[in-house]
This record gives sequence, structure tokens and C-alpha cells, in this order.
Amino acid sequence: MEKSIETIWKEGFIKNDALVAPKLNDLYNQKSIDIVEKFKRMYKINRIAIIAFAILIIPLSYITRMIYMGVPMSLLFIAVTFVAQKFSKQLDTIDKNTSSYEYLSSFDNWVKDMIAVNSKLSTFMYPYVFIAVVVGFWFIEIEGNILGNMLTSGIISEFPNTFIVSGFPILLLIPFFLGIAILAFFGGKIGKWDINLVYGGILNKLRILLSDMEELRK
Amino acid sequence: MSSDFYTTQILPYAAIIIKICRAYTDTQEDFEDYYQEVCLQIWRSKDNFKEQSAWSTWIYRLSLNVCLTFLKKKKNNKQNAPSDLLPDEVLVDSRAFDDESLNQLYAAIRQLSEIDRAVILLYLEEKSYQEIADIIGTNTNNIGVRITRIKERLKKILSN
Repeated sequence: MEKSIETIWKEGFIKNDALVAPKLNDLYNQKSIDIVEKFKRMYKINRIAIIAFAILIIPLSYITRMIYMGVPMSLLFIAVTFVAQKFSKQLDTIDKNTSSYEYLSSFDNWVKDMIAVNSKLSTFMYPYVFIAVVVGFWFIEIEGNILGNMLTSGIISEFPNTFIVSGFPILLLIPFFLGIAILAFFGGKIGKWDINLVYGGILNKLRILLSDMEELRK
Repeated sequence: MSSDFYTTQILPYAAIIIKICRAYTDTQEDFEDYYQEVCLQIWRSKDNFKEQSAWSTWIYRLSLNVCLTFLKKKKNNKQNAPSDLLPDEVLVDSRAFDDESLNQLYAAIRQLSEIDRAVILLYLEEKSYQEIADIIGTNTNNIGVRITRIKERLKKILSN
């Protein structure tokens, strides 16, 4: 008589060797390597994107007649790529022949260093970008006139009593320097937010994995 | 994960995990990955166990969730992979139990939909309709009919 599926199931598992649990080994090793490799890939793509943008922004700014913005921005992105490249070389020196925990800890320290340097740079970088954008717009030519000069004349004619400092009305200088000050103050935080936006998911996985491994070591 | 936790809280229920992971994998390598991931998730989520159900029921639910999530990820990866890297046909299970009927039954179970696999595994493990419904997240009314339909399907596959 044909066996029912219930009987096949019961009889099949009577033999103990049918249910031998695999050994739990190497559990974290592969996960550690996966996380670091994934981060490396993302970091490389990010560097390529930045350098591509540094190159593309020159013709783009020429087309949009904002070359005074394009050149400094391009220089900035090249500098950022240079710093990222240096960090990438450091990342390659992390010793894989240690335990998973030591490997991930070294990677975590590298991430912390990278974020710290990036935050410091951001306090200069964001005001620099702001200045480049303002200068870019300032020198845009509209029907033979420079936008900045048109703006200055407009303000002077509207507010004839306004203070003029080195040829610039104070009503323009105040928001300009305020913008720089705000970006310098919050630059570090914006930098961290930016990193979190790109690498947040993977860095979160790293923290969870490290915390698991730390608990294991207790 | 401490070896104590593994020995006392997971190993006694390893049979459950093995049976479920077997139903959702085709190769020994995948099976070991799924098994390890289930163990890891049990350990990570142990504080979320509220004793509203039996520990074994909770392990069933967690094992199924992990397997279904893994399977979904695997499918997504396959969809993203270039078509020339995909196998032309469904992978043949490289593992075998000593009992040939059990091998055939597992092969048939693997042909079912993911949820049907879960339902039949729980049924074969003699879980009540209520427990199956709780684990799957459906109501008890559908379970009986569904099991009958799955059993018929399995019989058909096995007879072929």
C-alpha cells in the first residue's frame, strides 16, 4: 500500500542522522568580509562619481556662463577625491589575517577616522561651495550686464542710505557672511549627515555586527 | 552567541530549524547559511520572546521568516544578475536523506509555493490549525481547506 505523506515524514525522520545540525562556525567571518567589501565598492563608486562631477562641471559651468563657480567647485571635488583616495589606500592596508572581530574593529576605527576628517573638512567645504555659488551667480552676464553689478545698483537706488563696504552694499554683505558663518558652524553636522545618507545602512550593519561580537567575547 | 544559549535554547529545537531550512534550500551550502542565520536571529531576538506562545512555536515562526526573507533576497539577486549567469533550470537538490521516500517528499514540497511549503511543514509537524494560522498569520478557517489542497498537489507530484 502506498504510504501517506504523514507516514513518509514520520518514518523518514526516525533515523537520527537525518537531522544532524550543521556546526556553527565561521559565522561572522564571511559577514565581516562582506560588509567591508561592500563598503569598499560603494566608496569606490562614490569617488568615481565625485571625479566625474569635477570634470563635467567645467564644461557645464562654461555653457551656463558660471565659470567662476565651475572652476573652484572642480578644484574642490578634485581635492575631496584626493583625500578619499588616501583613505582608500589606508583601507586596503587593514590586515585580513586577523580574527573577524579585530578585522571589523580596525575597519570601524578607519570609518571613525574617515568621518572625523570628513567632518573637519566639511566646516570649510560647505562655506567654500556657498562662496563659489554666490561668485558664480554674481558674474553671470545678462544682456551685457553683470548680475552682481545690477543687484548692487538696484539696492543702492532702492536704499540710498545703505552702508557701502569696499564697493558692496552692507545689505548684500550681511546675508553673504551670515550664510558662510551658518555653513561653517553646521558644516561638520552636514558632513556627517551626508555620510550617513550614503553609507548609513552599511555602517548600521557594522555596528550591529560589532555589538554582537563584543557580547560574544564577554 | 554563547555556546550555553545554543546548547540549551536552540539545539533541542534544531530538528525544527533543519526541517524548515531543508524545505527552502537546494544545496548544502545554502542550507548551512540559512541554518546559521536562523540561529543568529533567534539569539538576536531572544529578548523579544514574550512567552505568549511556546518557544518551539516562536522558533517555527522565526525560522520561516528568515527563510522567506533569504529566499526573497536570493530572488532579487537573481533578477539583478545578467541572464546568462542564471541557471537554465531549477537547481537539483545536491543532498540526500537515507530514506528515498523522504527525499521525494522534500523534492515535492520544494515545488510548492513558499507559503504552502510553510503550511505543510507545520501540518506534518502536527501543529494545530490554530498554531498554523498563528504562525502563518491567517485565520483557521482557510487552513483545513488549504492543507487538503496541498496534500492533493503533493500526491500528484509524488505519483508523477
